[in-house]
Amino acid sequence: MDAFPIPAESFILGFIGAGKMAESIAKGVAKSGVLPPDRICTAVHSNLKRRDAFESIGVKVLSDNNAVVEYSDVVVFSVKPQVVKDVAMQIRPLLSRKKLLVSVAAGVKLKDLQEWTGHSRFIRVMPNTPSAVGEAATVMSLGGTATEEDGELIGKLFGSVGKIWRADEKLFDAITGLSGSGPAYIFLAIEALADGGVAAGLPRELALGLASQTVLGAASMVTKSGKHPGQLKDDVASPGGTTIAGIHELEKSGFRGILMNAVVAAAKRSRELS
Amino acid sequence: MDAFPIPAESFILGFIGAGKMAESIAKGVAKSGVLPPDRICTAVHSNLKRRDAFESIGVKVLSDNNAVVEYSDVVVFSVKPQVVKDVAMQIRPLLSRKKLLVSVAAGVKLKDLQEWTGHSRFIRVMPNTPSAVGEAATVMSLGGTATEEDGELIGKLFGSVGKIWRADEKLFDAITGLSGPAYIFLAIEALADGGVAAGLPRELALGLASQTVLGAASMVTKSGKHPGQLKDDVASPGGTTIAGIHELEKSGFRGILMNAVVAAAKRSRELS
Repeated sequence: MDAFPIPAESFILGFIGAGKMAESIAKGVAKSGVLPPDRICTAVHSNLKRRDAFESIGVKVLSDNNAVVEYSDVVVFSVKPQVVKDVAMQIRPLLSRKKLLVSVAAGVKLKDLQEWTGHSRFIRVMPNTPSAVGEAATVMSLGGTATEEDGELIGKLFGSVGKIWRADEKLFDAITGLSGSGPAYIFLAIEALADGGVAAGLPRELALGLASQTVLGAASMVTKSGKHPGQLKDDVASPGGTTIAGIHELEKSGFRGILMNAVVAAAKRSRELS
Repeated sequence: MDAFPIPAESFILGFIGAGKMAESIAKGVAKSGVLPPDRICTAVHSNLKRRDAFESIGVKVLSDNNAVVEYSDVVVFSVKPQVVKDVAMQIRPLLSRKKLLVSVAAGVKLKDLQEWTGHSRFIRVMPNTPSAVGEAATVMSLGGTATEEDGELIGKLFGSVGKIWRADEKLFDAITGLSGPAYIFLAIEALADGGVAAGLPRELALGLASQTVLGAASMVTKSGKHPGQLKDDVASPGGTTIAGIHELEKSGFRGILMNAVVAAAKRSRELS
């Protein structure tokens, strides 16, 4: 039972930590119309570029983190993981049950967040780098006394920069290995496809353009068609054709197993670091 | 010097071959506003589903291919490669220098298209499967007497279903080897399997895998940064990402993808 629902039509969203992630989310939220920019705030110490980045979207830049916490209904911790504890303990006296706290700090657990802030209404969110271009793969986990409505609200905010799922916090290491680190595997793949194109005779600029657009298009087919990727592969691999010849090279070299290895290794590393 | 420019504000676009590719392009063109659907036409023999597919977009469905050619200023051959020659010779008498012909038939060369139709104002276009979701990687090659304006017009039409580049026809085998989406379907399945191996439920793993690939590719296309630079930006010291990258590098992941592109390009040459 929720005695203090966040007022959907008037709530203020505040960011502690005016970095790239906060900027991506603020931009996405404002651009999609989920929240008008004047209901978003943050604080910047001295870096004029960061101040500009937010003011140019229409976001209010306040004097310090304490002001952000006092002014906001939903407070997002978007500082680097190493400083979360200090920030949490600093703002602790300003918190109340009316506020919803959110953390996007990689690797910082709900248990610790709740302990450091003495606050149980928390949602932990793991976005990934493509938030910057509005195509994030984000996962959230509700902690403590965060309500279903809180979850829906955060779902809407992060839905403005990509897709969002809910999962139990115990899956977050595996998720790190896949969606957290995954973009890098694809950067390597795009470079390799472009190199293959150059090896086959294409000029570099054309090869790189085709490589990145082909990857984008293929992923779009999976997300939009609802078909299994194996079915999509079957649909395009005609008998004795060029596609199956390329696929054969991938299969004979264990391409898929190698990608599995990467996800598993990154997940393992995430567990080691936690 | 172009005596018969295609009238930009009033031209009719016709498709010979009312299949999936024609449908994707017609949908994309209509949806993007490049052309109102009533200035697009095609012909359907007997398949009611295909007729519906086009009529539901607002495209005119005519009685036969000859009617399409007569009515249209820009005629697209979107039939299967095996039947292009027959269709070309059948419509030959109806052609004039006022018409621009376009072919999207895989593997069919400009030289042959021009010979079969007796028509030199031709553009060969190679779209790829994601045209269906508006994210094609398309390449066109201008043939014979096709003009720069013709190229721009076709660029606009196909730009409504994704991105388009121009290239010399001699590069088309290499382009075929590269612009196939199948390698990425395999990659998405493998990433999802890796997620499941690490403990994720299948549905979440597959959703994250496909969205992650989409997001990564979007970063490359939108940032203008080199993919190697983007990789450097996200691989922090001793972190999870570089651990994953190490697995890829030690197993020659990149070389394997190069092999696939080269092998597919080679196969394309063999088939031509």
